[in-house]
Amino acid sequence: MYHSSKIRVKPSVKMADLIDANPRLLLMLQHFNIDFRVSDQTVQQLCEQYDISENLFVHIANLFNGFNTKGFQLNTQKELIQVVNFLKETHDYYRSDKYPQISSYIRHLQENHPEREIKMLEKFFNDYFVEVLDHLDYEDNIAFPYFLSLWENEAHDDTQERYSSNEYSDHHTDIELKLKDLKNLLLKYVKIDNDLDVRRKLFFSLYELEFDLYIHSLIEETILIPSGVSFEENRDAK
Amino acid sequence: MQNRTPIHIALLETSRIICEGIQAILYQSPELDARVHRVEDLEELGELLENQSTDILIASPVHFVNREKEINSIRKEFPTLSIAVIDYGVMRQSPLPHDATLSLYDTPDHIVQSLLKLVNKNRLFCKMHQDDNLTKREIEVLTGVVNGLLNKEIAEQLNISVHTVVRHRKNITTKTGIRSQSGLTIYAISKKIVNIEDIEI
Repeated sequence: MYHSSKIRVKPSVKMADLIDANPRLLLMLQHFNIDFRVSDQTVQQLCEQYDISENLFVHIANLFNGFNTKGFQLNTQKELIQVVNFLKETHDYYRSDKYPQISSYIRHLQENHPEREIKMLEKFFNDYFVEVLDHLDYEDNIAFPYFLSLWENEAHDDTQERYSSNEYSDHHTDIELKLKDLKNLLLKYVKIDNDLDVRRKLFFSLYELEFDLYIHSLIEETILIPSGVSFEENRDAK
Repeated sequence: MQNRTPIHIALLETSRIICEGIQAILYQSPELDARVHRVEDLEELGELLENQSTDILIASPVHFVNREKEINSIRKEFPTLSIAVIDYGVMRQSPLPHDATLSLYDTPDHIVQSLLKLVNKNRLFCKMHQDDNLTKREIEVLTGVVNGLLNKEIAEQLNISVHTVVRHRKNITTKTGIRSQSGLTIYAISKKIVNIEDIEI
């Protein structure tokens, strides 16, 4: 459900118009720590005000709008830090907003429907949530510091635990696949009577989460990992 | 009930009078768009079924005598083929499984209605089997997965290769859209493939 509103984001476009065409961009602003009251500012002005790399902002906004252009090479340490901060913000959004919300809907369903099937669904989600938290902690504590160290630590100490960008990419878990399982179980198989309000809210939450996870992994795979790999190659060639 | 898609009917009957009579009834009916394929024997029937997806076989039971094995294997290979046998009123009832009986004394309308019933039942069956319905083997593999068995253990239990188990698991995921073991467990319970009481939560 990679929704695309086909407006290509350019520095000269007004941010408010972009949001009007694709409200999901609000989530992006939040991940960049930009306030929603964007006045009449263009993308360029907004980036200046918040001191955010314009190229990076345009690239990510285009991902949100459905343009998966070629990868994006991080050119400065500032850009790297901004990408990592963006991803960390998305982690907070999963941890403290999206997952608790989904969890509360499922608990609600479980309370209304005593069938063991729903109980198993809740357990499925809880186990999944634990896996997600593990993965987010891993990224926050191991992967992101590694990428940041690539820039800071030019004289890389080789005795240090060898870790590489590709390893990070292998570590990518099946978070998106389990989410698909959950969606399919609810859409096709598990019978729940009534409670349409809660179930609709649950579906919308799942779809929102799916969308954001998709963008999140696109950023990791098309920006962070290729940049890390090319940095490693340069370093090793020295 | 109107049935616009053509219905392919194999006619296994050596009497020309009966053949032409049945064809006339089918072709004259405004309710079905029948395409009749005449075959002389079971071999020709086999060839036809291979090349043309066929809805119904109308056969004189004479051809079934002592050919039970072949009929059964045809049924297995073409599970959506319905078989209607012609009742001449002189032969004992065919012992073989069949889905309908047409009597020589039936009215044309009665014959058309019987055939339409078969077709509708059939198409419903096809529809059900297009989606997530698993084969018997896939259900056996799924039950193993749900019980937490390794591929190797499932292979030993069912006496098939690990490679085959992997293939079945892939098909199960393609059909159901569910990949994880815990997700498949919930699927199996929803579909009543396993009993919920047997699963530890």
